[in-house]
Amino acid sequence: MALAQITDSGPIGAETTQRGGPLSRWASQHAATLILGVLLLLLPTVTGDFILVQVAGWAMILGIIALSLMFLAGYGGMVSLAQMTVAGVSGYMITVLGASSLPTISLFWPWWVAAPLAIVIAVAFGTLTGALSSRTEGIYTIMITLAIAAAFFYLTLQNWPIFNGFAGFTTIPAPVAFGINWKHPLPLYYLILFFAALSYVAVVYVSRAPFGLALQGVRDNPRRMEAIGYNVTAHRVAAYAFAALLAAVGGILMVWLNNQISPGSAGIEATIDLLVIAVVGGLGHPIGAFVGAIIYVILRTFALDALVAVGLDGRRFQTIIGLGFLVIVLFSPDGVIGLWRRWTARARSAQERNGP
Amino acid sequence: MTTAFGDDERTHAGRGDALARWIGYHPVAALIIAVVVIFAAWLVLAPWPAGFEDVFGKKRLFINALINGITLGGLYFLVASGFTLIFGLMRNVNLAHGSLYLFGGYMGYEAGQWSGSWLFGYVIAFVSCAIVGIAMQFLIFRRMEGQDLRQTLVTLGLSIVFSDLMVWVWGGNAIQIDTPDYLMGPVPTPIVVAVKSSGETVFLQYPRVRLVIFAAAVLIGVGMWLALHRTRIGVMIRAGVDDRDMLSVLGYRVQLLFVLVFAFGAGLAGMAGIVGGTFQSISLGEDSHFLLASLQVVIVGGMGSIPGAALGAIIIGCSEQLGLVYFQNYATMLTFLIMVVVLAIRPQGLLGRR
Amino acid sequence: MAKVDGAGALRPGEERPLSTIAERMTAAGTGNAIELRGVSRLFGALSALTDITLNVRPGERRAVLGSNGAGKTTLLNCVTGDFPPTAGTVRFFGEDVTMLPPHERIRRGLRRTYQISLLFQRLTVRENVYLACRGVSRGRFSFIRTRASDAIMQSVADLVSLVHLESVIDRLVGELAHGQQRQLEIALALAGAPRFILFDEPAAGLSPNERGDLVAILTALPPHIGYIIIEHDMDVALRVVESVTMMHNGRIFKEGAPHEIEADPEVQELYLGGVHA
Repeated sequence: MALAQITDSGPIGAETTQRGGPLSRWASQHAATLILGVLLLLLPTVTGDFILVQVAGWAMILGIIALSLMFLAGYGGMVSLAQMTVAGVSGYMITVLGASSLPTISLFWPWWVAAPLAIVIAVAFGTLTGALSSRTEGIYTIMITLAIAAAFFYLTLQNWPIFNGFAGFTTIPAPVAFGINWKHPLPLYYLILFFAALSYVAVVYVSRAPFGLALQGVRDNPRRMEAIGYNVTAHRVAAYAFAALLAAVGGILMVWLNNQISPGSAGIEATIDLLVIAVVGGLGHPIGAFVGAIIYVILRTFALDALVAVGLDGRRFQTIIGLGFLVIVLFSPDGVIGLWRRWTARARSAQERNGP
Repeated sequence: MTTAFGDDERTHAGRGDALARWIGYHPVAALIIAVVVIFAAWLVLAPWPAGFEDVFGKKRLFINALINGITLGGLYFLVASGFTLIFGLMRNVNLAHGSLYLFGGYMGYEAGQWSGSWLFGYVIAFVSCAIVGIAMQFLIFRRMEGQDLRQTLVTLGLSIVFSDLMVWVWGGNAIQIDTPDYLMGPVPTPIVVAVKSSGETVFLQYPRVRLVIFAAAVLIGVGMWLALHRTRIGVMIRAGVDDRDMLSVLGYRVQLLFVLVFAFGAGLAGMAGIVGGTFQSISLGEDSHFLLASLQVVIVGGMGSIPGAALGAIIIGCSEQLGLVYFQNYATMLTFLIMVVVLAIRPQGLLGRR
Repeated sequence: MAKVDGAGALRPGEERPLSTIAERMTAAGTGNAIELRGVSRLFGALSALTDITLNVRPGERRAVLGSNGAGKTTLLNCVTGDFPPTAGTVRFFGEDVTMLPPHERIRRGLRRTYQISLLFQRLTVRENVYLACRGVSRGRFSFIRTRASDAIMQSVADLVSLVHLESVIDRLVGELAHGQQRQLEIALALAGAPRFILFDEPAAGLSPNERGDLVAILTALPPHIGYIIIEHDMDVALRVVESVTMMHNGRIFKEGAPHEIEADPEVQELYLGGVHA
């Protein structure tokens, strides 16, 4: 069982002989995605603000950041533990550049300056991370990125002039823009949904573009890629830059949703939880990031009650996460979507055997 | 060319020549290094003139930080050498290494409390961590031979579970392990700290226990080096680090070797836990701290290299302590910068092999 | 043993140099496609290549032969840039490429195949060839997907038919037979506008029929594309080249035309006396 299998979609440039225009063809191939999209659009009609924002919204944000990890690990073979850190850099930067509870540090620049600038800084940081990890053998990537993530955590913890130490910042509201107060649950939910959908579509599309295909080639056979003209290091670093863009967007949304940021937001526990999310969901397809995220958020929201109900200490959430992670890595390394694929394949072949 | 775990016998004989040749090829670098070494020696050995102290602060502060850094380096070496051995031979990035450190510290503390002996704690720490290490390698990793990434993820999962379970048992309070009476107190050293106005020179007094532990770390390091270079098992380990495929020729003994190395590395980490508990304290979060330290040490010093772990440990230890004293808000940045510079110039680490 | 370097310098008392097409054309003063001067490669204490001097003309077809350990693949790797030589220079069409990384050399028109097929097992034949074509063209970092109608897809289709793999164009490489994978290796080397190709034991593991196909493909290559073919199998090699370089223990031992080498008594003693496929 491979940890990261090739993603599916047909070969490049393949012709199909299906009837109907390109749009109807696409719709029938992606029926499940469309249905999911419609459900998400209509979610506010059936749930309250808490589920909407704290469960669905938070899951989608974690999904975006986990997607950046999946892009690097699944398509690039590079397991980067620095993606949560990139999101953290982005979150801290928009806090320092924009509005917060601390006028002594924050600059209170308008969102249309603070947000893009925060993203640029975070992407630069992510690219630097890539530059540092790309010239070494694959297994070192985990080490180097974890060291970078831990270093950032300790920096935010110890540094008061910029990061306000372990206290962090509060009151970091989403802005009022285009006549809408994006801080309110309903607009915030749709804002998050928009970016989640956009990142998902972007990653799926790019995976079959020359950029994505070259990255997968680099994953599978870097020596061969060099020998057919690709600058392998450049492709890896570019992948980190693209992934950093995703994580940076996630970081800003994270700060707007939580209305606060502190060292723990992008700390070591959060970093490792992100890897757990990506691996449990499955590194083989972009949807895995979101699958993992919703599982994690549901567990986190309801674990306390569930644990107490079976007589265990409600605070042992991390043990559950760790055990769940171990079960996946030991028995289904390609994650939940791997399980899903195998189950549907078996169901399909059983159906064919039983036959008409 | 450095081979695994340091130079091999062939290059020993020609070491004097090699140095002369290197100086010949890099005259400017050699001159710069010579100047730096001489300056460093003066900083340490000579009393600082008054004007110098006005700018850089008291020499006592510097010397204390420096020696703290070196002795901390001894502690980091104990943890990181196990980590680098496990990676070097089994290509497994043991992310549970910090948990082993913490577990050893707690077990050593409990053993010390129960028996009243600090040294007995070390035995218990080593044994209990070694057992955990044996279990990990024998029960889990043996079945994932060759899947480096998967093994690493398993260590991560284990570290999550271990960490939480240890919080459950020992809580979040910091535990300080008492220094035994026979090691308490300061020891005079020949290092000049200041010259009093009466003309009397003041020498540095430094805690005995830290010096003893540092000496022990050095002994253990030398012992490991000797074991790797003078025993048959050591030769097998070095061969395995150099070329893992070759190990398959050796047959079934390979798994035994892996178990031994994992157990030893884990045991070392556990003993380091007691050291850390004595130097500073142990508590939740220290596992991440020492895992990070191990990562930094091997990134800077070089993976799979015991001398590299020693060099990296001294560098990281000193940069941490000096950073705390002189750049309080940006101490981690200094260590991070060192890591970045090494990664940029020599990605495999200072003494690492490509 | 007569040691001959490309320029034909001789030490007194040694045999007359074997005259090669390369030497004659060098004398005429036109540039070399590949030029190695004093190239050595050490692996620790092991000297894999010692003081190699090699000149190959544009469009020339040369075989580099020798027993295992003679240094043939190391020589190839130095030319492609997989690792730099310990000493010496490598020039490609007059440009010093000694310190250039492989992808830079590939973009200047050099290509190579591997002794053990290095293909993308989980991609289809079409996708493998596409990657090779894309690698030497613009748009490597493009975020826009390639459409079926793009020019590059036509090049891909042409290359696939050139090596007779049209029937399996959409099969995963992992499912192909060994011989088909070897053919795909060659297709990758022909992507873009190659000026010079290095073939590393292309006949390895091929059946007699497949060897015939290989010879056909090689001889059908346009005349401006030169190649060096490293081989164990003298039959295949000597049929597709016009000059031969023999290596032994990391040095060039003899150079000459195929029939001269085949007939040479020293070659027969040293090389043919042992293994001959």
